[in-house]
Parts: sequence; structure tokens; C-alpha cells
Amino acid sequence: MNIDNTASQMRKGVLEFCILSIIKQGEAYPSDIIDKMKTANLNIFEGTLYPLLTRLKNAEFLTYRWIESISGPPRKYFSLTEKGNAFYKELETTWNELANAVKTLSEAEQKFSNNNNTQ
Amino acid sequence: MKQVININFHGHVVPIEVSAFDLLKQYTESLSRYFANEEGKEEIIDDIESRIGELFQERLKAGAACITDDDVNAIIKSMGRPEEFESEEQPGNAERKTFQTTSSTHRRLYRDENDKVLGGVCSGLANYFDIDPIIVRIAFLIILFAFGTGLLAYIILWVVVPSTSTTEIGGTRKRLFRDPDNKLIAGVCSGLSNYFGISTWIPRLLFLLPFISFAFHFNRWNFIGPSHFLGISFSPGILIIYIILWLVMPEANTTAEKLEMKGEKVDMNSIKNSIAGEMKDARNFAAGKGKTMASDINTASKRGINSLGDIIGLIFKIFGYFILGCIGFAFVMALFGVAIASIAIFPFKDFLLRDGWQNIFAWGTLLFFIAVPVIGIITWIIRRLAKIKSNRTTLRFGFFGLWLIGIFCFVSMIVLVTRDFRSSNRRSEQDVMLTNPAINKLEVTSIEPSHKFYENRWFRDEFFDDLDQDTGYLKNIEIRIVKSPNDSFRVTTVRSARGRTKNDADTTAHNIQLDITQKDSLLIIDKGIAITRKDKFRDQQVILTVYVPVGKQIRIDKNVSWGDNFQFRNSWNDDDDIEIDNANWDENTDYIMQPDGLYTLDGHPVDEKHSPHHEKVIIEDNGVKNNTL
Repeated sequence: MNIDNTASQMRKGVLEFCILSIIKQGEAYPSDIIDKMKTANLNIFEGTLYPLLTRLKNAEFLTYRWIESISGPPRKYFSLTEKGNAFYKELETTWNELANAVKTLSEAEQKFSNNNNTQ
Repeated sequence: MKQVININFHGHVVPIEVSAFDLLKQYTESLSRYFANEEGKEEIIDDIESRIGELFQERLKAGAACITDDDVNAIIKSMGRPEEFESEEQPGNAERKTFQTTSSTHRRLYRDENDKVLGGVCSGLANYFDIDPIIVRIAFLIILFAFGTGLLAYIILWVVVPSTSTTEIGGTRKRLFRDPDNKLIAGVCSGLSNYFGISTWIPRLLFLLPFISFAFHFNRWNFIGPSHFLGISFSPGILIIYIILWLVMPEANTTAEKLEMKGEKVDMNSIKNSIAGEMKDARNFAAGKGKTMASDINTASKRGINSLGDIIGLIFKIFGYFILGCIGFAFVMALFGVAIASIAIFPFKDFLLRDGWQNIFAWGTLLFFIAVPVIGIITWIIRRLAKIKSNRTTLRFGFFGLWLIGIFCFVSMIVLVTRDFRSSNRRSEQDVMLTNPAINKLEVTSIEPSHKFYENRWFRDEFFDDLDQDTGYLKNIEIRIVKSPNDSFRVTTVRSARGRTKNDADTTAHNIQLDITQKDSLLIIDKGIAITRKDKFRDQQVILTVYVPVGKQIRIDKNVSWGDNFQFRNSWNDDDDIEIDNANWDENTDYIMQPDGLYTLDGHPVDEKHSPHHEKVIIEDNGVKNNTL
């Protein structure tokens, strides 16, 4: 068991959810997504993002259109499909449940240890 | 000072330092290896590359003269290296990561997939010992040429040492597909090269080599022997192998298949693994069979002594399967034997078959009756081994239909050829002029064939004792030794042949040329009966009768005729045949003629020696029947 491994496993699970959340707010270009994630203090490599986007697109959760850019080649702007919206909703519920569960459990732990300390 | 080149990167011209370009190339290659098994690999890499292109443009717009190493490194850093990616669907990946971190503590020997000529053994060894790969390679070459043993060591290392690709990249196994994007005929060679991760020209050259050398060997008749079947000279084998691969390998049509085709680097190791898996399946299958058999036995024994019959039945069942298996195996092997033999024989067909239908049916027989089932069986076996599921009924019916045509051709050919052997000629005895018939000893010998073909082969393909450009020589010569009525030697010949009609047979027999000349005590026989492509083989035979006077010696050399084993016997002759009563004497042995028959020089009668248990009737010239035991 090593900490990096566990942390990255945890991140992996929520990465798709995060990407979908960003795209849900409006059409997004991959480097926008990276930037937004960075501001949210979630650092991933762009190299990780592209395969995820392709996979989501192949699963028909995402669609994209080409938009000409002033600098360099035309860009792919991603947006959510209807299927993607439904998928996002499901992920959101799951996430909320999970977050609640983790919160409840870890807080209970804290209370317990606090109690122990006070005694 | 650094060299700068211009590259066209996603539609934009980018000036880039050569070293930076190398870095970039390495990076994109590592990406494409990493995403090798990913569905939509091209798209992902395209996206990443176009993003890189955008970043390049940004830098150039900001006033950079060209893209430097630092730029590329910075971009790679922000994009991430494949080994830093977080991948989700490969459960082995996390383990691999930890493995890599721990493995840095102790060194392990890997074959280097990124720097390889053949299997990456040399560069792997170089990495391990921390020396330049070129040194190891040269050392290997020296060992190979000086001692001839390096190859084996290399192959063993190739098989035994794991590849770096199995630790770094992993994923599903590569599959063998024909490559429709890069094909000359059917894409077999490019598919093979994809599979083994080598350049396309290597399998192409291997397939072409036999055809190139075919041109050199054609005139020397070298291309027919069975040992050349897969050899360097022309071999129909290589063509058959190509056709089989064509039939067996599916074409990579979808992207997923193309990725599978190019996917993970498959090396000796993974081939070994897949074979091991195959064997395991077979073992499970056998175990399953064994279980059902065992339960058969169990139930049988439960029923007790009454069911002895069942046990016997079971034993018969096992025995029957065994016999069936043996028969099947023998049938397949016989088929292959016939195929090889007929390919060896085929160039000689002109000596037997007449133009027209006979020839057409011969080709039909070779192609449909022999080649089609061979290809079919091999295809079936390989498809079963490769577990290709698509049920090509059309293929099966196609094979069967072609084979029916082959049977028809075969039967027709046999019928047509047999018709040409239907009648035999009218025989007549002709005297051979002897220059000196009154000598004491006659030795019958022959001109040794000037050139022997196909010596030391495992099966007899010497149809002809000698073969000129288009004339074959047969030593289909019977020799009879008979007591002469007077005191001089006399030699006669009887020519026999077969044909569709008696007249045909007569003509063929008349055309037999066999020069016999006497030179002192030697009777020299020509190198054989000439068979040309015009005068076909129609069982031409010469019966040579030597009349030996009493008290004189005779000797027949071995090179005169084929000996008994290979004689075309005229046993199915129906009419006016000459009775043959000899073949009891040995070749290369001196004999002396006595009043009651032939004796060896030390006084043993020939007939007694050879057939002590048979009553042998020799009709002497005076009509007295001599019964010897």
C-alpha cells in the first residue's frame, strides 16, 4: 500500500465527474478544462485529459464541434449530450451519497477520538 | 550551434531544433505506444499533437525564433509523460507503477523494445551492463560468424528475457491481421511485419527469395526435389504458405482490429505465452474427456460383474477412437506425401501424358485433387488453433466443390492414361550383331549414366536413369540367360511397348532405340531406352536374351538394368508374352554355363541356391523338362 497510489486511485474515480461538471457549464476547450481544474487545485496532465475526453465522446456523453482559432489549428470544443446530462446526474447523486458517507464516517471518527482525548 | 529544421506539424510550418525534434518524436512515439490498445488511439494522439502544435504557435508568436529543447521539455512536462498518466481501465497499471519504483533498487535484465534491431537482446544486455549496445552487437556477430553458436544463445535470450514493453505498456495481446492499408497482394507480409514489429520488407523478401532464385535454378532442374520444398530454390511451398496465410488471417477492417494488429509488441515471449495457453486448453479438454471416460468406467464397475460387457464395450470405444485417430492422422500424412510426391513428379508429366485432355486433367488433379485438400486441412487446423470463429460456410463448400472437380479430373486422367496402355505390341525377337561371338567370357555392362539426379533422397524420384534436356533414359531392361545351342554367344532383343491400339503399340516399340555393341568381352548397352516428350512413356521394355554356350562364362553388371525391384513388369500382359524364367542369378557375379544350367564359378547351381523349395521347370532347347529342387 502506498499513499501516492491510493490518492491517484481516488482521483481517478472522480476525474470524469469533474470534467463533466466543467463542460456542463458551457462548451469547453481541453486547455480551458485544464486551467479550470488547476484553479480548483486539481492538477492533472493534459495527456491524461485527452483519452478521457475521447472515451466520453465515444460513449456518446460528449459531442464536439470545430472552432477556428487565431493561434494554431482549429480547436475542438466539447459539450454535453442528452445522454451525458443523464450520466452526469447519476454521477452527481452517487458523488453526493459518497461524499456524505465519507463525511459522516470521518466526522464520527473525529468525534470519537475527541471524546477519547477529553477523557 | 544547433541545426534547425522546418517541420510541418499539423498544418503549420514549425522551425525546430534537430535535438528538440528528436525529443518530440520520442515523445509522440511513447504516446502512441501507450495508447496502442486504446480505442480511438489516432484521435487521442491527434488531439495531443494539435495541442502541442498550438503551444508551438504560441511560442513562435511570442517571438521565439524556433522551438528549442527547453520548449519541448516544458510542453512535455505540462502534457505529462505516458508513465505519469493516470489510467483507469488497466488494473495492472498501478501494480506496474509500484513495480517500477521498487525495481529500481535491483537491476533486472530486459529486452529493450525502444532500441532494437531484431529482438532487443543486445541493447538489453548493454543496458544491464551499462555499455554501448553497439559493442554487444558486434560481439554477438563475431561469436555468430566465428563459432556459429551466437544465434542459439540469442534465440534463447529472446525467449527467456522479458521485454520492456510487457512491463511498461502491457495491454491486450497483438493479433495477426492482414493489413489492407499497406498491401501488395493481400497484405499478408505487412500484417506479419506489424505482428512482429519489423519492417515490411523483411517478410516480403523472405517470400520473394524463392522466386528470385527460381530464375537461377530453373534450367538445372533443381526445383523439384522434396528437400527443396521449403528451401531456397523455387518451392511451391512458399506459395502455398502465402495462400494459407491469406485464407487464415482475417483482414483488419475496423479501427479496433487495426489497433490490435499494431498493438502491443508481440515477441517470442508472448508467442510462448499464447502457445502455453493453447496447450492448457488442450489439456483441459483432454482432462474433460478423461473425466467422462472415468465416469463411464465408474458406472460400469458399479453395475458390477454383470456389466462386464459394458467394460468391454468401453474398451472397444477407446480402441475405436484410437484407431479412428490413427486413420485420420495417416490419411492426412498420406495426403501430404502424395502432394509432395506429385509436385516432384509433375515436371515429368510430359513424358507420360499426351497434350490435350490428359494434360488438362493432370493440372486439374494437381490443383484441385491434391492442393485443395492440403490447403483446406492446413487452413482448418490453423483456424482451429487461432480460434477464429467466423463460420465461413461458403469457404467450406468452395473447398468441397473444388475437390469434387479434382476427383473428376483424377479419375478422367487415370481412365485416359489407362486407355493408352490397353494394348501391347506384337513381339518379335531380333538378333544383335556380335563382332566376335566366339569369345570365352561375355560381360554385359552399360554406359554409366553421365549424371545422376537426386541421389541419396529419401524416396525414389529417379524416374529416369539419365535426363538430357528433354529426353529421359529408362533402363527397363530384362535380361534372360539361356543356354546356347552351339558354341558361340548369341544376343537377341525383344522390344515391347503399350498403346491404345495394337498399331500404336507397334509404332512405339519400333521407335525404341537401344544401342548394343560388343567390344572384346564387353557387351555395352546404351544408357537406356530413350523416352522423349514426343514418344511418351508407354511401358517400353527391352528383353535381352543372352545365349551362353556350354562351358563359357557370363557376367551381368549391376548398371545394366534397374534390378527386380524397379522393373516395370509386364505381368498384366494378355497376349503373346515371352515367358521370363530368369532373375535367379545375381548381378556382378561370374557364372559358367553347364549342360544342365547356370553355375557359379565355385560350382553351385543357380536355381538350387535361390529357390530350394520351389519346383522349377526349365525348358531346355531340346524340349526335355528338367525338374530341379
